[in-house]
Amino acid sequence: MKNFLKKFVILLVLPLMSATTATPPSDTNAKVKSSYIMAFTKNIEWPGTYKEGSFVIGVLGSSGLVDELNRMAATKKVGLQNIEVKTFSSPTAVSKCHLLYVAPEMSNTLKDVLGKIKGQSTLLVTERTGMTKQGAAINFVVQDNKLKFELNKNNAQKYNLAVGSSLLPFAILVD
Amino acid sequence: MGRILYITIAFACLMFFCGTSASAQHEKVVYAVAQVQSGEVDKAKSAIDSAVTDPVTSVDYETWYLKGYIYKELYRKYDASSRGLGYRNEAIAALKKSIQLDTAKQNLDVNRQNLRSIAGTFYNDAVSFMDTTNHAKAVQYYKLFKETMLLGDPQFNFEKRDIEFKLALATQYTKLYDTDRKRNESFFALTKDLYSEILKLDPNNVRANYNMGLLFYNQAVNIINEMDYDVDIFTLSNTQDNTIVLFKQSLPYMEKAYELDPGRKETLIGLSGIYFSLNEEEKYKFFQNKIQEEKK
Repeated sequence: MKNFLKKFVILLVLPLMSATTATPPSDTNAKVKSSYIMAFTKNIEWPGTYKEGSFVIGVLGSSGLVDELNRMAATKKVGLQNIEVKTFSSPTAVSKCHLLYVAPEMSNTLKDVLGKIKGQSTLLVTERTGMTKQGAAINFVVQDNKLKFELNKNNAQKYNLAVGSSLLPFAILVD
Repeated sequence: MGRILYITIAFACLMFFCGTSASAQHEKVVYAVAQVQSGEVDKAKSAIDSAVTDPVTSVDYETWYLKGYIYKELYRKYDASSRGLGYRNEAIAALKKSIQLDTAKQNLDVNRQNLRSIAGTFYNDAVSFMDTTNHAKAVQYYKLFKETMLLGDPQFNFEKRDIEFKLALATQYTKLYDTDRKRNESFFALTKDLYSEILKLDPNNVRANYNMGLLFYNQAVNIINEMDYDVDIFTLSNTQDNTIVLFKQSLPYMEKAYELDPGRKETLIGLSGIYFSLNEEEKYKFFQNKIQEEKK
């Protein structure tokens, strides 16, 4: 009996499949920067003449931030103003903006940029060490892996921009 | 099954029971064998069910072995497609009883072979249940596989199977979590626990290290992606802090996966993503270069 029954003893084993997929590549830093930019628009006061038409965010240089800002512009407003994102390849191309972000690789053109926005109420946002000393109102920096921002209130005031107090606890204040 | 074999077995059984004082009772067993031989498992069942209640044959390990075998065949005939448990449970109980009565271990090998065979069916069922809907059944059947396999092979090393099973289960939990991260939040912790268990068994498991790293990385990315653009600055700052913790939790696992398999493209992408998100530009560029080198 044993030999006969052995014939039926088959241990089947099927393979178990396992695979884990990554979340599609995402520029999380651009999302964080865009959210900061949105926070700046809510905590900084522009002159009354700047509260009509679209709220223009300019980007000087190529940056992954543009796509993210466009996504933001599609769904958000600054007060009652629609957001419009404009990109510029050089300082001479810069037109009237409420906020101008200068990409790191364009930082060396800051002097030209300052000349271009003189007399306007443009919040100048940069992303390179020392930029607030050279005229930027806000400069993104990284500290302990975290994106933070330096704020030079004087540079903001030069452009008739009033910085709200709620922004200050999160800013690295620079004179 | 050939007639010669049938005769041989029937004869062997008759010889086995020959000389006892209860040949009438043993006829049920012989009849059951003959019915099995003829493929008549239902008739064999009636005979063996009667034999196991008979005071004479019920104390014979061969009777219980035969019951185990017949019920295993009944499982194949009636329960295999529905993955039912009834016949298999009866078969296991009978084979255990046979082992218990077989004090001289005459039939131990075949009893265990049949138990291993049943264990294999549980394993296969666990595999077939492995999806986002039936994962609990997969767990249940895998447990049955382990319990039954231990009866069939007390020395069986489950480590490799456990790792495979946990990896597959973690994949399903991750899918469930990704489907609805709020409603299925508990699956994040369950997945993390599974990878921890795997890494306890095998700290050098590349997939578990990579997947654990990816779990934390994806969690952080999802939190940022789901964040509203006009979140208040206090929440924005807190969200950053929380995601930095997750990116840093991800890092040692992904680094370990890289150490174990430096050429694995997924790991290189994972590391470049983590370092990018941690704003560590040099390391991000290092892994970006590695990815480019791998492409060549």
